[in-house]
Amino acid sequence: MNIQKPNHSASPVTASEARQSFTRTTRCWALALAFASALPALAADAELDALNLESAPEVKPEATRGTKLFVEGALGSASQRYAPDSRNIGRASVDFSYSGRLAPGLRAVLSDRLDYFDPDLAGADDTVNSLREAYLSWQPEAGNTVLELGRINLRYGPAYGYNPTDFFKDGSLRVLTTADPFALRENRLGTAMLRGQYLWNGGALSLALSPKLEDNPSTDGWSLDLGATNNRDRYLLALSSQFSPRVSSQAFVYQEEGRSATLGLNMTALLSDAATAHMEFTRGSEPSLFSRTFEANPEEITRNRFVGGATYTTLGKLSLTAEYQYNGFALDENGWNSLGSVPAQLAYLDKALNLQELASRHAFLIYASQQSFILKDLNLTAYLQTNLDDNSRLAWLELRHHWPSFDLTFQWQQNIGNASSEFGVLPDRRVLQVLGSYYF
Amino acid sequence: MKLIFSLLFSLLLGPCTAWAAPSADEILAASDAIRNPGKPFSVTVTLTEFQAGKQVDNSTLTSYSRTQQPSGQFASLIRFELPARDTGKLMLKNGNDLWFYDPVAKASVRLSPQQRLLGQASNGDVATVNLAKDYKPTLSGQEEIQDGERQKRTAHKLTLAAVSPDVTYANIEMWVNVENNRPIKARFFSESGRLLKTAYYRRYQPQLGAERPTETVIIDGINPQSVTIMRFSDYMARTIPDTWMQRDFLPRFQPD
Repeated sequence: MNIQKPNHSASPVTASEARQSFTRTTRCWALALAFASALPALAADAELDALNLESAPEVKPEATRGTKLFVEGALGSASQRYAPDSRNIGRASVDFSYSGRLAPGLRAVLSDRLDYFDPDLAGADDTVNSLREAYLSWQPEAGNTVLELGRINLRYGPAYGYNPTDFFKDGSLRVLTTADPFALRENRLGTAMLRGQYLWNGGALSLALSPKLEDNPSTDGWSLDLGATNNRDRYLLALSSQFSPRVSSQAFVYQEEGRSATLGLNMTALLSDAATAHMEFTRGSEPSLFSRTFEANPEEITRNRFVGGATYTTLGKLSLTAEYQYNGFALDENGWNSLGSVPAQLAYLDKALNLQELASRHAFLIYASQQSFILKDLNLTAYLQTNLDDNSRLAWLELRHHWPSFDLTFQWQQNIGNASSEFGVLPDRRVLQVLGSYYF
Repeated sequence: MKLIFSLLFSLLLGPCTAWAAPSADEILAASDAIRNPGKPFSVTVTLTEFQAGKQVDNSTLTSYSRTQQPSGQFASLIRFELPARDTGKLMLKNGNDLWFYDPVAKASVRLSPQQRLLGQASNGDVATVNLAKDYKPTLSGQEEIQDGERQKRTAHKLTLAAVSPDVTYANIEMWVNVENNRPIKARFFSESGRLLKTAYYRRYQPQLGAERPTETVIIDGINPQSVTIMRFSDYMARTIPDTWMQRDFLPRFQPD
């Protein structure tokens, strides 16, 4: 059986919008400015009317605590660059996560996703299971120390589109069901590790030890695929500091078997009532992305990775993020042009996607989200990723309407650029999809 | 003789006057203590939203709160329980240190106060924040007002001015029952003087050793037809270490 490899032709199906899912968890109550001119007397009457209202009955949260289950279906179509006909897209998924207390201080976490594709993509299984997490977490009563063992999705990095300090991201995607960079994080595999963390007021120190368990990724759709996430020994030391309520940082030392250590730093800051900023930086030695793709014994080079951005939220509920991204290990414009053929370019892009790396040297992201877009329960999310070397772009937009247990979503993706550019070379030109998600 | 009478009168009434007229600071602190238990606690919050009198939404949260030392900052860790799509998501508020965490995506997102203002999270300020820390109160006299259950009450009217630029509301008007320091009503204003919210504290019941409001009716300042009722139930005293109130704890949080 063949595993479905992530590739750039895969389409956006799931839209789980982790980044601004806080906007959909919180319900709107701030209202249209059109009402600003309401007469004070009417306001007083409305105030008194409000006191007649009664709260909904209390629902004991124990009924749902710890378990989350949803099913999702997707139908769509993708117009193709190298074929005259559009290809159809169909998917059904079951997504389950559980966190339960086994004993005082001892918790079990399980998270799994099953995707069925029809029609299946070329060379891929039609059914792929992703055991994202399965671990035990022990936290003594004082709550300052945590020990965890198992498959853990350990993720760092505050940036939106590219996370240099997210050290356990490579190889973690079994299937690519979305173009939303934040939803990708929901569906990825965790890494088997032993992790300890000590917290104090205003900081934390943690160490993750991840052993090699298998040599290579599995092609079996039902495999645990430890070879994708645990194919070498590695460790990560992370120190978190809260300098003030407005500034926090995380410093890292990361090392893989046979390589020198990579140093990393990320920061977030509150700039004003409406603005936040973030940055990530790493410096380390490893083979270039080109060497990893095409060379059997690649040589190491020392380079930087950097992301810096800011988010501004308007009173009208629109959040806008601008982000500059830099990857010193990626090809520059001349290097990309020297690849020459489309197959070589696609191989390079597939490798970048598999490693969750930025394929171009420089890129820029604009990300926007609007809660209650036209309708109260309608959310708009969109982004534009621009390769600053060849000016090609990926545009993506999602409209998601919420009902109490059901979401209906429309997604649109457009790959824009000339035939030899990063996004212009991709097989899919435009992807349109409709998704339905039911939450139990 | 007149002077002696004056002195005697002052001596006799002086202490009584001080007893009868607590300061604005004392009233506000007593009012805060009624809304917020002095020890770490958790409470279940049922949020019901109305538009023009019609229920349009309903959600449930659990709030874990404590006062941080030595800052005195009131901090809350909020777990979303319902609707199902949001189960397990967390929001941390420790002053202006605001974070949202999605356990599936493992994403911790720093929020600006304006982002928080977009949703129900901002209503937590109205219900649970310790105002005495961030505001300077002035006693503006006594007024007869209608409380959240439409009963006439005599109340101290306090005018609160922010002493920290980091707070969400620049000014607050607050009415506190003269008999027992229970908060009755509050109006929250922006820096420009715009009314943002009106809150009524009602349905007082014994919880964690005191009579506390178990409902807060929040009326939008711009559109009074938009109303949210926060119902508080299942108050429980808890051991909540101060180390919980930081970003790095969010992935470790274990509800019990």
